[in-house]
Amino acid sequence: MRILLSTFITLLIFSYLLDVANPLLWTKLGTNAALFLSELRIEWGVMNDALFAVYETLVISLFGVSGGVLLAYLLAPLASPLIMPPAAAAAFRTLANFVRSVPAVVWAIFFVILAGPGPRAGALALVIYTSIYLIKFFYETLEAVDRELYNSLKVMGLSGLPLAFALYTHAKRHIVTQILFMLEYNVRTATILGLVGAGGVGYYIAHYLSLLNYSAVMTFVIATLALVITIDLVSYAVRRII
Amino acid sequence: MKFQLQHPVFLRNVSFNYGNGLLLRDVNLLVDYGEAVAIMGRSGAGKTTLLKIISGLLKPTGGYVEVFGCPMSFGCVKHIRRRIAYIPQNLALIESETALYNVLLARAPNKPLRFITSLWSRSDVEEALGVLKAVGLGDKAKTKVEKLSGGEKQRVAIARAIFQRADVLLADEPVSSLDFDTAEAIVDMLISLKSKGITIIAVMHDRELAFKYFDKIYVLENGVLK
Ligand SMILES: Nc1ncnc2c1ncn2[C@@H]1O[C@H](COP(=O)(O)OP(=O)(O)OP(=O)(O)O)[C@@H](O)[C@H]1O
Ligand SMILES: [Mg+2]
Repeated sequence: MRILLSTFITLLIFSYLLDVANPLLWTKLGTNAALFLSELRIEWGVMNDALFAVYETLVISLFGVSGGVLLAYLLAPLASPLIMPPAAAAAFRTLANFVRSVPAVVWAIFFVILAGPGPRAGALALVIYTSIYLIKFFYETLEAVDRELYNSLKVMGLSGLPLAFALYTHAKRHIVTQILFMLEYNVRTATILGLVGAGGVGYYIAHYLSLLNYSAVMTFVIATLALVITIDLVSYAVRRII
Repeated sequence: MKFQLQHPVFLRNVSFNYGNGLLLRDVNLLVDYGEAVAIMGRSGAGKTTLLKIISGLLKPTGGYVEVFGCPMSFGCVKHIRRRIAYIPQNLALIESETALYNVLLARAPNKPLRFITSLWSRSDVEEALGVLKAVGLGDKAKTKVEKLSGGEKQRVAIARAIFQRADVLLADEPVSSLDFDTAEAIVDMLISLKSKGITIIAVMHDRELAFKYFDKIYVLENGVLK
């Protein structure tokens, strides 16, 4: 109860600082919403652009996932003490954890600087981001594999990458689920990356937003939502099959 | 470097503890090539632990272990692996894959690229199919292991050991979850490997089968093998 009360008081203080408590703001929100709603329709003129942008976003995400999976498949064993000497695995893990704390948008900015603006930068950023996430997922998956299976494979003489691949195969369903999760995640992230110039729908949305052309913004948002929902449905269907 | 001395397995005064008192106190064991040895003893006596020591998965607390004439403490683990097959109690098969995949897996250490790409040579595949046929699974080669019965899974594990060309087969309670007739058929198959010169060391619970089929029977009791 005391926690609730003190949070509430803190909230009041911050509302004052941010000017959220201002009653004028709320009436303004109302009129803006009315304006926005009156503009709300699909602008067919930009539909072609919207479809292209969504297609670009999809390609960026798929590239990010496939490149990320490949990298993570090869690199995750380096982080696993089952495959590597424990000290080396711990060192690699620490490095990976450190790199993982960098958000996708920062990678996008980085690659926009290196490769220039456009979908290339977004795609490369997503490869790095996806791989660094999947490395964590994959080494945790390797760790969770039944010890007796690991033991008998080891006695059989397996080590290194082949050992990791046998363990991956054992955890196939789990791995596919993780990859699909990353795909869903990438499609969402790829829509944002355009804001920093890394290609995809985000770029157009920011553009039309600055022109206050809400119907064009709406068209892009709807196209994006359609993409996200489609990907989620596909991913759900694949998960049902495996 | 291939060690081919008289005894594939030799243990002298081996002791072991998991940190909660001595489990194995003074284990001596000498096994010949092509011999079938049964290890018996009540639950918790340390039978599984003993198999793990022989396979190099656990280091003994004290004593001397020599496999294929190479002392374990001497960095021999790498050399002796591949020549030992270890079938744990739960079989450790990759259930979501076919019987054939699981058998071919035994050759992954020698042909890692073929394994990773699943591009096995025709001769490897044919040999693996031959082995599966020999254990009576000719028509189940392409079946996923999770769809096989307990006895059939045990056969896959044996087929994998044969395909591995292991010289020593360590089997932990290979028949304890099977009905008597199936169990007898599996033990019979294990014992028939002796004709290939393979040494069999199996943890057995069934006295009747042990006495009927095995050359030597040891009982593990109070940390000592008799
Ligand atoms: N990793 C471990 N850490 C600590 N204690 C262990 C470990 N593994 C086994 N033990 C203990 O060592 C004892 C012997 O275990 P082991 O598995 O060798 O027995 P077993 O003879 O194979 O028994 P069963 O017939 O039930 O399979 C048991 O009391 C067990 O609890
Ligand atoms: Mg046991």
